[in-house]
Amino acid sequence: MSAGAMLEVRGISIAFGGLKAVQDFSLSIPRGGLYGLIGPNGAGKTTCFNLLTGVYTPNVGSIAVDGVDVTGLPPHQIAVAGLSRTFQNIRLFGQLSVLDNVLLGLHLRGRHSLASTLLRTGFHVSQERAMAALAMRLLETFGLANRAEEQGKNLPYGDQRRLEIARALATEPKVLLLDEPAAGMNPQEKKALRELIQRVRREFGVTILLIEHDMGVVMNICERITVLNFGQTIASGTPDEVQNDPKVIEAYLGTE
Amino acid sequence: MSKLFEETRSLKAPVWGVIPRAAWPLVVAIAIGALVYFGVSPLVGGFVSKVMLIVGINIVLAVSLNIVNGYTGQFSMGHAGFMAVGGYVAAGIVYYGSIKLWGSAEPAGGILSIVQEGPKAGPLWGKGDFLFVISCLIGGLVAAGAGYVVGLPSLRLRGDYLAIVTLGFGEIVRVILQGSHDQIQPWKAADAAAMPVYELAWKLGGPKGFNLVPTYTTLFWVYFWAALTCIAAYRLKSSSSGRAFLSIREDEVAAQAMGVDLTKYKVRAFVFSSFFAGVAGGLYALDIGAISAGDLNFIKSFDIIIMVVLGGLGSISGAVLAAVILSILPEALRQPPSLVPWGWVAIAVIALVMGAVLPKGKKLKPIIVLVGTAALWEGLRFLATSVHVNLPDYRMIIYAILLIVLMIVRPQGLFGVRELWDLKVFKRRGGGA
Ligand SMILES: Nc1ncnc2c1ncn2[C@@H]1O[C@H](COP(=O)(O)OP(=O)(O)OP(=O)(O)O)[C@@H](O)[C@H]1O
Ligand SMILES: [Mg+2]
Repeated sequence: MSAGAMLEVRGISIAFGGLKAVQDFSLSIPRGGLYGLIGPNGAGKTTCFNLLTGVYTPNVGSIAVDGVDVTGLPPHQIAVAGLSRTFQNIRLFGQLSVLDNVLLGLHLRGRHSLASTLLRTGFHVSQERAMAALAMRLLETFGLANRAEEQGKNLPYGDQRRLEIARALATEPKVLLLDEPAAGMNPQEKKALRELIQRVRREFGVTILLIEHDMGVVMNICERITVLNFGQTIASGTPDEVQNDPKVIEAYLGTE
Repeated sequence: MSKLFEETRSLKAPVWGVIPRAAWPLVVAIAIGALVYFGVSPLVGGFVSKVMLIVGINIVLAVSLNIVNGYTGQFSMGHAGFMAVGGYVAAGIVYYGSIKLWGSAEPAGGILSIVQEGPKAGPLWGKGDFLFVISCLIGGLVAAGAGYVVGLPSLRLRGDYLAIVTLGFGEIVRVILQGSHDQIQPWKAADAAAMPVYELAWKLGGPKGFNLVPTYTTLFWVYFWAALTCIAAYRLKSSSSGRAFLSIREDEVAAQAMGVDLTKYKVRAFVFSSFFAGVAGGLYALDIGAISAGDLNFIKSFDIIIMVVLGGLGSISGAVLAAVILSILPEALRQPPSLVPWGWVAIAVIALVMGAVLPKGKKLKPIIVLVGTAALWEGLRFLATSVHVNLPDYRMIIYAILLIVLMIVRPQGLFGVRELWDLKVFKRRGGGA
């Protein structure tokens, strides 16, 4: 454990019936870090994200974001605390416009009382304007501004992935969790994504935890990597250390 | 601290805009109510006016239910229950209020709230009108309170479970109201006047229904409320709250991950929607001068659900249009009017306009549908008269078949989640692509 970590996870576990999906998972990412989380299929990576973001509550252990304990909070409060994510199986608001998707990300930083909404108070109107301006700027950063009015589900696959990242960033997160953002992309798109992730980290100053199957992406951009297998952390270290770890090699080659 | 709040401060909306923005819906609602009541109603006569009144109340009901079932994607089957709550409260306030305040349960409104044949004369506003307006508001508020009480625990449930709970709520409301005590009849007004309010509050007629309530509801009030409901629903939909509703419908997990508090917004939708259901209940009760919980059962809830689904879950204009069509259809089928000649003239004009406005290559289908429907209508009429079938006998069957056909042709409803003004036709004209 390190003082002043942006994301501090200590010994969280969860079991589904008899299946110990994640066991004693710990992780500490310093402010501005870019860490990776890898492991074979079914290792428990997505379940880790679900634990961190409050979709599931860990049976034991604790989670802190920027020193604030968020263990056991409901997902929307964890989002407010500064943890935002994308989903492995893209979960955009398909029928809403691209702009509205990002506006929903901005939602939690504003105040939206029923009275001010119905009366269109000055505060409400200026807030909506500010949100729209901010959202458009975000879309420009992601090269999606010209598609702002299209329905989310009509975007090409790669754009949907990027829109998910834009939407997550709109919540002004301290920590951004990316679940296999490169899945289904071609090598060219993967390269662009790698650059995008590094740019996001630079420009938005967020701390990033990345789940990725594509070793080219993870090994190149992550500072440290944690490897899961059957819910257990089998290794963690720099990309070089992890790559040469016999347990990791075994897990990936699947020797019994 | 947050970028958004810095931006908000720098983009302060001009102060002078605040009051007009808050007030124009009222002005518009009054204007629409007045137009329908003073302008349209005298032209079209008593029967059509009556149908228009039903249409208006159904607009309030459909647009408000749409907020729960359409925007938020929750399946409520208890809308008639909230309507009953509002209706009984409003009827109780007006009936016993009149007796307490001026000793008789006779209508005491001005011309805004007295249905008269012919030219309208007399004072615009009577002493009873205050009571009426307040009763509808309180009816709405009590219904909203009921919405809160039902919503808070049950909105943790999803889909079918919520549907069953709301269905149960509607039935419980019905049974409870049918268990209320006997009404104190108008000729015993003196007894009622002497009784304390809390005793009167439960003398709502029980299984016999609550009758002989002074009537106040006119087309003015119905369309006033219909306009207000639509404007409020629009403001909600086109704001952050509305987006939060829609996001819940689209994907609850993602919505939560974006910081949307599910319970808060589901309850908000429920409360808002039941408020207007309650108001509609008040308008309904004070139109016929009676309300019976037995009439506001789950079948009534279904009627409203059908409107919402037909219009397109989430579409305000769709809900309005569906409320209009589905309220008129059963009435029109009573005495199927011929389209010859003016109906055909109207259809020809609409077809010409469509031909001019629709984008190339998309002209044909809608026009064929339009003309085809009209031809089908005439054909059906002709067939019925030539084989001596009395169409009105089969009106509910025809109504059901039309619904089925519509849902097969357009399962997403007339407009889907979009609005009339979102349709490509109108966008295309606005230039830019
Ligand atoms: N809600 C749940 N109920 C029961 N079992 C679950 C649940 N969620 C996940 N699991 C199980 O937990 C294990 C870990 O799943 P998880 O989705 O976290 O894997 P993953 O590492 O993300 O895999 P992939 O690389 O395929 O995405 C799997 O065996 C999965 O079937
Ligand atoms: Mg996964």
